[in-house]
Amino acid sequence: MQTVIKVEQLSKAYNGQPVLDRLCISVQAGTVFGLLGANGAGKSTAIECILGVKSADGGKVFLLGHHPQKERRQLFQKVGVQFQQGDFQPEIRLAELCEETACLYEAPADWQKLCAQFGLADKLKQTIKSLSGGERQKLFIVLALIPNPRLVFLDELTTGLDAKARREVWQILAKLKSNGLTIFLTSHFMDEVEVLCDEICILHKGQAVFYGTVEQAKQACNCTKFEEAYLALSGEEAAI
Amino acid sequence: MKSFTILLKNELKLNLRNMNMVIFAILMPLVILLIFGFIYGNKPAAEGEAYTFMEKSFSALCCISICSGGLMGLPLLVSEYRERKILKRFQVTPVSPTKLLTVEFAIYILYSAASMLLLFPVAALFWQVRLHGSLTLFLGCWLLTMLSTLSLGLLVGGIAKNQKTASVIACLLYFPMLFFSGITVPLEVMPDIVQKIVLCMPLTQGMQLMQTAFLGLPINNSLLTFAFLSIVTLLCFGSAVKYFKWE
Repeated sequence: MQTVIKVEQLSKAYNGQPVLDRLCISVQAGTVFGLLGANGAGKSTAIECILGVKSADGGKVFLLGHHPQKERRQLFQKVGVQFQQGDFQPEIRLAELCEETACLYEAPADWQKLCAQFGLADKLKQTIKSLSGGERQKLFIVLALIPNPRLVFLDELTTGLDAKARREVWQILAKLKSNGLTIFLTSHFMDEVEVLCDEICILHKGQAVFYGTVEQAKQACNCTKFEEAYLALSGEEAAI
Repeated sequence: MKSFTILLKNELKLNLRNMNMVIFAILMPLVILLIFGFIYGNKPAAEGEAYTFMEKSFSALCCISICSGGLMGLPLLVSEYRERKILKRFQVTPVSPTKLLTVEFAIYILYSAASMLLLFPVAALFWQVRLHGSLTLFLGCWLLTMLSTLSLGLLVGGIAKNQKTASVIACLLYFPMLFFSGITVPLEVMPDIVQKIVLCMPLTQGMQLMQTAFLGLPINNSLLTFAFLSIVTLLCFGSAVKYFKWE
C-alpha cells in the first residue's frame, strides 16, 4: 500500500514555546486519518506545517511523495484543503467562488455536480456572506473536493452542521474513501471519528499521546465508549 | 491562460461591485475634467501658447485614475486579501503568486484605460482638445507611467505588514501625489522644496513625459526619465513578486 502522508519528527515552537513536538504520522492511501486533541493542542499548527503553509522548525514532510514547500504547485494539483478559518472575497457569490477555484486546476471536478450533491444547487447566485453556517461549512468541503483530489485535508469538517447534515457528509466521505480518496481530518465529534477514521492520533500540548485505531484506544484504557477513551488519553478527563 | 481570464473576469466583477474604484478612478477624473472645462474653456495655457489649458491638463487628468488605482486601490486590495486569509486559501492551490498579482495588476490597468477612453472624447467634444504629438509616443508614455505607478503600489501591498500599514503608506503616497505632483494643482505654484521632492515620484515624472508627448513638444531630453520609469517598474514589480508573502 502506498504511503500518502509521511511526517517525521515534525517540530514547531512559537516564541520558545513548543506547539508541536517531534510528531510522526504515516497515512496509507485510501484510508481516513483523524488528528484529535483539545483546542490549542496543536492540531491546526500541525496541519499548517504539514501543508507547508507554515515552516516547521524541524522534521520532514512528504505528501504524495512531494515536498510541500518546494513542490507546492505540483502537489496542490492533487490535494484539496479546507481550513478552519477559511475566508473569501467580500461580495463573492457561490458560483463565482467555485468557478474561480476550479479554474486553477488541470482536471477539476464538476463543481455544479458537487454543489448539488451537498444540497447547495439553489444557492449558486447567493453571496457567501448570506449563507448559513452549515451551508458555508458544506461549501468549504465542496471547495476541497473541486481539485478532484487524491488527498484531502478537512480541519473541523462538520463544526456548525446539524445532525442530519453531518450524517450526509459522512456518507459522502465514506463513498469518496471507497473510491480511493485519502482523508486527513480533525474533529471534536467522537462519534464522527469512530465512524470515519481508520487510524487516529491524539495530541496533547503538541505531543502525540496516542497513535492507533479507535479500538486500540478503547482497549488501552478499558473503556466501552470511544469518547471516554479519548478524554482519558488526551488528559482532558481531569478537567471535567 | 484560461485560468488567468476566469480569475480576471471574477476579480474585476468583485471590484466593480465594490464601487470604490468606479468613483475614484472613473468618476472623479471626469468630474475634475468638467470643472476645469467650465473654468478654463478654450483659453490658451498661457499668453501666446499654441495649446489650450485643457490640452495641457489632459495628461494630468489621465493620471488621476492611475494614482487612485495604483497608490490606493491596488495596495489596499493585496493587503486586504492577505489579512483576510484569502491568499492563504490560494496558497494551497496550484496558482503562482505571479499569476495572482498580475490578475490584480491587470484590473487597475483596465481602470486606467477606461478612464482615458472616457476623458478624451468628452474633452475633444466640448473643449476641442486634440493630440498635438504622436499617438504612439503618448500611449507609450502613458503605459510606462501607469506600469511604474502600479508596480510601486503592488510593492506596498506586497510588503506591508498588515492592512493598516498598507493604508498608511498608501495615504502617504496617494494624497501628496494627488495634490502636489501637478495633477490637480499646477507644479509651478508649489514651493521650491515641494517641487524637488515630488519630482522624485514616478508619477510626476511620467505625467510630465505624457504632457510633453501630448503637446508634441521636443522629447529629446527625456531619455533619462524613460530609463528612470523602466527601472522603477522592474525593481518594484520584481521585488513585489520576490518578497511576496501569502500570510
